[in-house]
Amino acid sequence: MKRYGAAIVSAWAATMAIPAAAQIAPLPPPYVGAYQPQGVDEIGIWREDDEAERKLAASTLVIQDEKLTFYVRRVLCDTVGTDRCKSVRIYILREPTFNATMVANGTMRVYSGLLLRLRNEAELGAILGHEFGHYEQRHSVNDFKARRAATDILMWGALLASMAPSYDVRRSYGNLELSIYGGFFRYNRDQEREADLLGIGYLNKSALRPHAASDVWRNVMGEIEASARVKGLKKPNFNAIAFTASHPPEAERAAMMAALADPAGRSREDGADRYREAMAAWLPIFLEDQVKLNDFGASEYLIQSLAESGWTATLWFARGELYRLRGHPRDLVNAAEFYQSAVQLDPALANAHRGLGLSLLKTARPSEGQASLRKYLELKPEASDAGMIRLMLPKEGAPN
Amino acid sequence: MTFLRSKVVLALAVIPALLLATAADAHKLRAKGVKVAVAESTLSVTPSRDWNRLSARIGKNTESWTLDGGQLNDVTFYGGIAPGNPLVKERSKKKEPLPKFTGTTLLVEVPELLETTYRAYRQIGAFAVNSTEPVKFLGQDGVRFTYTYTDGDELTRKGEARAVIIKGNLYMITFDAPRLHYFDRTISDFHALVDTASFG
Repeated sequence: MKRYGAAIVSAWAATMAIPAAAQIAPLPPPYVGAYQPQGVDEIGIWREDDEAERKLAASTLVIQDEKLTFYVRRVLCDTVGTDRCKSVRIYILREPTFNATMVANGTMRVYSGLLLRLRNEAELGAILGHEFGHYEQRHSVNDFKARRAATDILMWGALLASMAPSYDVRRSYGNLELSIYGGFFRYNRDQEREADLLGIGYLNKSALRPHAASDVWRNVMGEIEASARVKGLKKPNFNAIAFTASHPPEAERAAMMAALADPAGRSREDGADRYREAMAAWLPIFLEDQVKLNDFGASEYLIQSLAESGWTATLWFARGELYRLRGHPRDLVNAAEFYQSAVQLDPALANAHRGLGLSLLKTARPSEGQASLRKYLELKPEASDAGMIRLMLPKEGAPN
Repeated sequence: MTFLRSKVVLALAVIPALLLATAADAHKLRAKGVKVAVAESTLSVTPSRDWNRLSARIGKNTESWTLDGGQLNDVTFYGGIAPGNPLVKERSKKKEPLPKFTGTTLLVEVPELLETTYRAYRQIGAFAVNSTEPVKFLGQDGVRFTYTYTDGDELTRKGEARAVIIKGNLYMITFDAPRLHYFDRTISDFHALVDTASFG
């Protein structure tokens, strides 16, 4: 009996496990060159995208850093090939969410929250390649047509059902609705799988390590779970991150990605050092944006995972800010410790002295706290809050 | 016939009652020169011109006023936020918690509290505190600060606020308006209003 059960389980596993069925992702089809929209639907969609891009180019949220944009473009070109990447315009937006999108006319939006969460070029290539896959397969026009067909059928269905208002007709209308929406969402997920397949195909062909794609998903799942744990939620909400909301279930996806990656590519480099260097100037800003979102679990997870390659003053400082902003008495003691580690690594980091001073003041260590605040003013006399901080220090010569 | 008439009378009696009920919830005029208490607290102001009080409240102990509409100029009074509470009402206490004002929050940290509340509530990444300086507010040592942020509507707004902590509770008045045109046009009205603020 036991053996019979095991046989069923293994048969089920054989049908479910994508690795057994799927081979590694095929190489992408040959590139056909610049594409022009065809038919009234596609021309309309492109026109809307052109208009949106005009607005986007003038948006204050776009990060105007030529070097950073050039770097992200280079990683895209390394992944999909130089001929393909010519058709793409990249805009990096300062928005602390894990997301990237690409639309039919070749506008790619990359959010700063995505850049913060990735750790190397191979991971960035995996996400950009996935988005490029949607673009190359022209998913947005097909998606539009599928949605229109589905809502058309439902409209006619509703009209006909209202002409024969008996219970049975209404019930079958309800069934129709379920099956059409079910089909439509399945269609969306199939598009995602197709984009995944293409994305890994590009990576297999490139000089980057294709296994990074599944690492991205494992990390995202870890972060969502950490966030839920700290909030005391029973179930992590995987839809909380925009990029994952319409995508296939995370665990299935990570397994599929690992199976599609070319085993021969495992030893390839992933460009972690180059990635860290390119992000160095922006890391403190992206970290600040994340820490101040008040999602303690996710921010702590992110800082810890960035610290896997070594703790820096920037990371200690961000962790200190995270704990001080939550502000439980136990957090303030930890925060002071983290700020101390930051100033040990970089004594010129003025804001770490400020955080240290404030944390010490609040944990009943005023004289040490005042010394740190003095150091802060010394390093940054023009600080925007210098006037307030000066008030918190005793006058020269006066007793404490 | 009598039945019908009684129905009409009933309807006539109900209409003013309904009107009264909506009037209590509607936006209200705050007339020039009339001293009013705000945010259900001991905080009061005497407007130097007519203002509109908005009916929607963003949290307990808050009240919002405007001249041209909440998106174009918004004065929000925070009338005594007690330790352990967020500045505005949380959408979901459990899933989307907001930063709390605590017993150990220092005056110099109040700008950070407003910043993290805005960032978390609106899920934005572009917010900067531009200046923080000491000021006398409600007769006590308080803080005055200015800030700039870009909201989801991609319109950059400027803000100015004054805050003070009295008996452990936070009292604050903020002013937010688009950087383009509206901030400069109405900031003097805000200054005139906030200068009349008194406590108790």
